[in-house]
Amino acid sequence: MSTTRHHINRQRRRQARETRPAAPAAPAAGLERTRGATAVLEPTKTADIAATADAPTVGDERKPTRVRPRRRPPVLVLLCALTVLLGGFAGWAHAEAEGLRSEPARSNTALTDLARTSEIKGQVTKAVDRLFSYDHADPGALDKAAKELLTGKAVGQHRELLADVRERADAQKAVLTTTVTESAVERIDGDRARVLVYADQSSVATRGDKSGTKEAAGDGNAAQDEGVYAAAMLAVDVVRRDGRWLVSALDTFGR
Amino acid sequence: MKSAVRLPDVGRFRPLTALALALTLVAGGFAAWAGQDWYRAAHDDRAAYAAERDAALSAGEQAVQNLNTLDHRELKRGLDLWASSTTGELHEQLAAGRDEFATQVKEARTVSTARVLSGAVTELDDRAGRARVLVALRVTVEAADGAKTDKDSRMLGELTRTDGRWKLSALGQAPVGGTSTG
Repeated sequence: MSTTRHHINRQRRRQARETRPAAPAAPAAGLERTRGATAVLEPTKTADIAATADAPTVGDERKPTRVRPRRRPPVLVLLCALTVLLGGFAGWAHAEAEGLRSEPARSNTALTDLARTSEIKGQVTKAVDRLFSYDHADPGALDKAAKELLTGKAVGQHRELLADVRERADAQKAVLTTTVTESAVERIDGDRARVLVYADQSSVATRGDKSGTKEAAGDGNAAQDEGVYAAAMLAVDVVRRDGRWLVSALDTFGR
Repeated sequence: MKSAVRLPDVGRFRPLTALALALTLVAGGFAAWAGQDWYRAAHDDRAAYAAERDAALSAGEQAVQNLNTLDHRELKRGLDLWASSTTGELHEQLAAGRDEFATQVKEARTVSTARVLSGAVTELDDRAGRARVLVALRVTVEAADGAKTDKDSRMLGELTRTDGRWKLSALGQAPVGGTSTG
């Protein structure tokens, strides 16, 4: 019993020594640590109060230390714990909300943003009609369309896709007409979008060197298809520039 | 000595508690804001619609792929998959023509595999549970002699939600030049 008491008293004295000079100048974090230590010891101290009353040498110092653990730690510890809990919840809830918002389903506003979806559909339909139609009598129209509607790697892709078609159409004095029949917006991500397009292509040759007067061309390099109409499908990537949607890539699915 | 010990004690007591209280209140404010933000994010109508759109698309793509895949060696499994991918009129049509079709495929000994190139939803009514999809498909048919042919299909599908699942209720190819080829 006496050894325990001596030990406790010694500890208390040491603590008092430590806390006193350090406390007024110490930053909040340092104080909290000291407080935490006293809080842990508290039960032993309160149980020991009656027993230590007969040790007058440490009495003066003991009084404030005894008052401190009894009143301060519970409130402060409670507040600290509450702060940590609330802060933790705030961080967690924020992370959850951000996680929900960054879900691919949400970042894609195709159909959820109806105005933008139909705007893109309309502009892509017009763009594809123009970009894949060619009149041998007016070759400048296609160049103009390419200049106005294409950007980035789509410029090269378009040139490659239509080089053959152009040559043949010039030789046969043909008029190639492309009409989009169906389109759907796959995804809209801010200023970028991808549209799936179904189109019909018909070609009318005015002086053909082939058997018929009519020849159809598939999309771009599928120009060897015979028939009045040819079915084409392609995916078009578009980007928004100055309020207009420009074609940035053409995907003919390897055909 | 007494006052030297007690004064800083009393002085320290209030600012500390006040500081802790202030921190707690700030943390509480953040927690309330973040919680509300989270609730809003979780109950966003647009998000629910977007999720339904993606569910319809993935189910539609899978169903269209299923209906263009058939192995003469595993006819039952293939045709069962057709049945489970469809609903309504299409389901009935397939069920009615099942035996006849199975005989044809058995005789031809073909293996068809389909790959979805791209797909998109054109219309979605998430209340009525109806959707319309475009699916660009590449079908590879392997004949009995091992010769493979690729064919691209422009599919138009209609989906109906039955028991929480999207199933194909109509399927056809996009007409070319105003006339249907499918």
